[in-house]
Amino acid sequence: MFQNYINVALRNLFKHKLYSAINIIGLAVGLAACIMIMLFVRDELSYDKHWSNADSIYRLNTTFSPPGREPFVTVMAQGPTKAALKNYFPEEVGAVTRFNGMRVIMQKNNDIFSESLMWTDPETVDIFDFDVVAGDLRQTLNDNASLAINETFARKYFGDADPIGETVTLSVWSLKRDYRIGAVYKDLPHNTVLEFQGMAMIDETDFADQGWEFAEWFSVNNYVYFTLKDGASIETINSRLNAFADQHIQVPASVEGGKASDYVAYSTQPITRIQLDPAGARDGEMKPTGNMTTVLTFSAIAGLILLIACINFMNLATAKSTQRAREVALRKVLGAKRRQLVIQFLGESVLVALIGLVFGVVLVETLLPAFNDFVDKQLVFNYLDGMTLGILFGLIVIVGMLGGVYPALILSGFRPASVLKANKSAESSGSARLRSVLVVMQFAISIALIVSTGVVYGQKIYATNMDPGFNKDNLLVVRNTGRSGAVDKREAFKEQVKRLPGVTSAAFSSDSPSSGNESNSMVVIPEEEGERSELIGVYRVDYEFFDTYQIDFLAGRPYSRAHALDVMPNGFTAEEGALLQGNLIVNEAALRRFGFASPQSAIGRVVKSSVGNGRSAEFTIVGVVRDIKFQSLREKMRPEMYQLAEFGFSNLNVRFDGTATEIVSQIESIWKSMISTVPFGYDYVDEVMAREFRAEENQSILLAIFAGLAVVIACLGLYGLASFTAERRTKEIGIRKVMGATVFDIVRLLLWQFSKPVLLANLVAWPVAAYGMLSWLEGFPYRIDNWVLVPLCLLAGGIALAIAWATVGGNAARVARSNPIDALRYE
Amino acid sequence: MLKLHNLSKVYRTDEVETAALNSVNIEIESGEFVAIMGPSGCGKSTLLNIVGMLDTPSSGDYVFMGENVARYSEAKLSNIRKQNIGFIFQSFNLIDELSVEENIELALLYHNIPASERRARVERVMDKVGIAHRAKHMPSQLSGGQQQRVAVARAVVGDQAMILADEPTGNLDSAHGQEVMEMLQALNEEGTTIVMVTHSPAHADYARRTINLFDGHVVTENLRAAV
Repeated sequence: MFQNYINVALRNLFKHKLYSAINIIGLAVGLAACIMIMLFVRDELSYDKHWSNADSIYRLNTTFSPPGREPFVTVMAQGPTKAALKNYFPEEVGAVTRFNGMRVIMQKNNDIFSESLMWTDPETVDIFDFDVVAGDLRQTLNDNASLAINETFARKYFGDADPIGETVTLSVWSLKRDYRIGAVYKDLPHNTVLEFQGMAMIDETDFADQGWEFAEWFSVNNYVYFTLKDGASIETINSRLNAFADQHIQVPASVEGGKASDYVAYSTQPITRIQLDPAGARDGEMKPTGNMTTVLTFSAIAGLILLIACINFMNLATAKSTQRAREVALRKVLGAKRRQLVIQFLGESVLVALIGLVFGVVLVETLLPAFNDFVDKQLVFNYLDGMTLGILFGLIVIVGMLGGVYPALILSGFRPASVLKANKSAESSGSARLRSVLVVMQFAISIALIVSTGVVYGQKIYATNMDPGFNKDNLLVVRNTGRSGAVDKREAFKEQVKRLPGVTSAAFSSDSPSSGNESNSMVVIPEEEGERSELIGVYRVDYEFFDTYQIDFLAGRPYSRAHALDVMPNGFTAEEGALLQGNLIVNEAALRRFGFASPQSAIGRVVKSSVGNGRSAEFTIVGVVRDIKFQSLREKMRPEMYQLAEFGFSNLNVRFDGTATEIVSQIESIWKSMISTVPFGYDYVDEVMAREFRAEENQSILLAIFAGLAVVIACLGLYGLASFTAERRTKEIGIRKVMGATVFDIVRLLLWQFSKPVLLANLVAWPVAAYGMLSWLEGFPYRIDNWVLVPLCLLAGGIALAIAWATVGGNAARVARSNPIDALRYE
Repeated sequence: MLKLHNLSKVYRTDEVETAALNSVNIEIESGEFVAIMGPSGCGKSTLLNIVGMLDTPSSGDYVFMGENVARYSEAKLSNIRKQNIGFIFQSFNLIDELSVEENIELALLYHNIPASERRARVERVMDKVGIAHRAKHMPSQLSGGQQQRVAVARAVVGDQAMILADEPTGNLDSAHGQEVMEMLQALNEEGTTIVMVTHSPAHADYARRTINLFDGHVVTENLRAAV
């Protein structure tokens, strides 16, 4: 019996090569997409589950709610929270440690390098288990002149030699010390949110002059991790975090009223949840995290692709079922029970699904390296893992059932007498209608995916080509100009760079576009009654800044050496008790925040702001510039002021015309001839800004691939259905031709039959895609106009229709050209 | 009306060459009623297909209304065919998904005739063959005789000059068969040329001339005295 089933199943597969190929290819692609997404999702879910005490590790996040501004979430906390947590929650908190990443100048023998290293507390060893391959990690982290490095770092600087005991000189801020390599640990696995190549112990006295790093309650520069003691509840800690803030943080005098917890809120986050739930902070993690929405979206899309393949499977099986009616009738005449027939047909579809899986696995093996590159992971497809096997088994059963259950029930229900007598089965209009509905569904999914691809790609193009308010082309930023070793030679360096042919201007600034840094200062605006404080973003710039960036003025003038008051007063060097005065340039958003009616009317108005050392100065507004998008294009425009300063410049911005690489190499040789202790670093401004939208670029590529797959699989199915229909309608086509229909008439008839479901699919897809994409776009402060969806929807519909026509057209033309007498002779 | 001169049709497969028609010479005048008889496989259907321009001869000439159409392209033949020739088949060949009136209208659909005129002509011809009360029915709801009447209506709705009938009574009982023959005879009396393939000598008697085919040759031609 079983042998007979297998024989019949295999022979049917071979006999109907086209249908079998369509089913198997579709299922293979759908299953491959599902398997790869499954591997991806499992990897995303595995983050930080491998620590031996993963369940009790938490991180302290901080949310600031400055008056008059959107609250912003950081994944860090202040340096003093370490000791404070331990003291405030003695029953709940076990070990606490901080990670503070710093970019250091590293000197090894006579070579200098710029590297990022992590300063951390000795408790790190108690919280996280490192795989130490040489040396003693605990001892290293208890010594302020020892350094622990990972294997990659060790290989990079020491090759195959044993690095233990070697020394390097590290300089950062005022710290300059010889560090002995005390331990080498295995590189952290990729599935953790921690990332660093070396660790040094935090000795707070090393950073006494840089209070913001570890000592102050108003700077957040540390990732703070702690463990929960056995039996303690995180809820106890969470419920007392406001009180914790109130006890430790003093509200500054310039802010009127309220408690510390009104402005600073803490929250705890289990380490295992960080990867997929980035706490609302857009960046600031040690490395880019994932995102639950992305994971869910792409899982859903992979599922939809598989669904499209299953629909093909089901449609072709029902369409073909009429051809197998005779076999069913004969089996029934010979005594087969309905249940046996159902099992036979379900078995067949599971067999097809299984063959599809085999090809799907081959596809996965072929494509996995490319997929890994794309998602930047090292996913491995492990067949023998129980979970994988379970999921694969489940997929096969589901797919087999989906594809097989309807035809199995229909076929097994045929009445043998009528089937044998008519030598055909009148196809029920029900199954034809179901097929149409399913085709509509397939194309609706395809069209929605095409629209989504268009929107994501369009948004990426829009954002990267948006006018940021300055000229971002032919502009480069030389880094590290604020480093000790470079800072004294900075002006001379700038002069030499300016003299280079091809350099049109150069200017210093505290920050550069899309750096992710944020610096704010309180500004006091005098009003008729009393005064008002506003928190405003600050950039420090020099005389050439507006010229170099080519920023337009709405009113007033740029800073000029002709006006002595343009320079911002310095609170540290100013005479005791003197009235400090300066001039100021602000942007339009600041103008609105201050409540000034127009750029013209703002000129000459006076505001007060701090100038360091606890002193403040009166600033006269001398210029208003348009809103320039110096911050990430993902953020809303913020009110900003541009102070003319003489310090705090970490970047030299260079405007050039000519070959970029040539200019860079000339600048580099100037740098090297003047500054020997700080490495040369630079970026092109347009590239930095484009990098921000790499995620969207990748998403649009992935979406495009998925949309392509959806369309291809749906069209495969359509092709199968079309050839089936053409077969079924040969008699009709013959009659029509005898009646004088031309080839064109017939092709049009068949095309129209398949255009209807595609057109209907548009009506389903458009509202869904539009709703989804409009809410996606909500997340961008600067986004493409909503009406763009209209042409995109029409285009997607047009593409789907054109592809459907191309798919069906060839077949239709062939059928239309065939000689009608062949069709009419039978019966 | 038409003239076949030395007309042959050869079917080739990889190995075998079969002559379905061998140097056939036939002339049919306008307004004639001709029956073609002969055993199975003698070439009747091939002859009818070629006369109906559904197939082309391998050699020889086919002159239809003064034009030698033997080498015409499919598109040209289709054009001549739809203007001049109506078909009636043994198995009726109605489209199952279309109603009676839609099936009849099909013959006008490819002629660039405005919808209102199409409807008028379909109604006229339905009255003529007595099927008007079934206009909205589907073919599967009709008896064989009724289906063949629909087919006859479809064959004449375009005012075709010639009707080719391939065993039109083959699937009908004798009463219905006679009904269809009388309908054909009436059409012939109105001036329509009719060429009919049949196995039934009784039905062949309706024709004024009978052509007997055997193995692709015309064996005899019997002319019947006018009734």
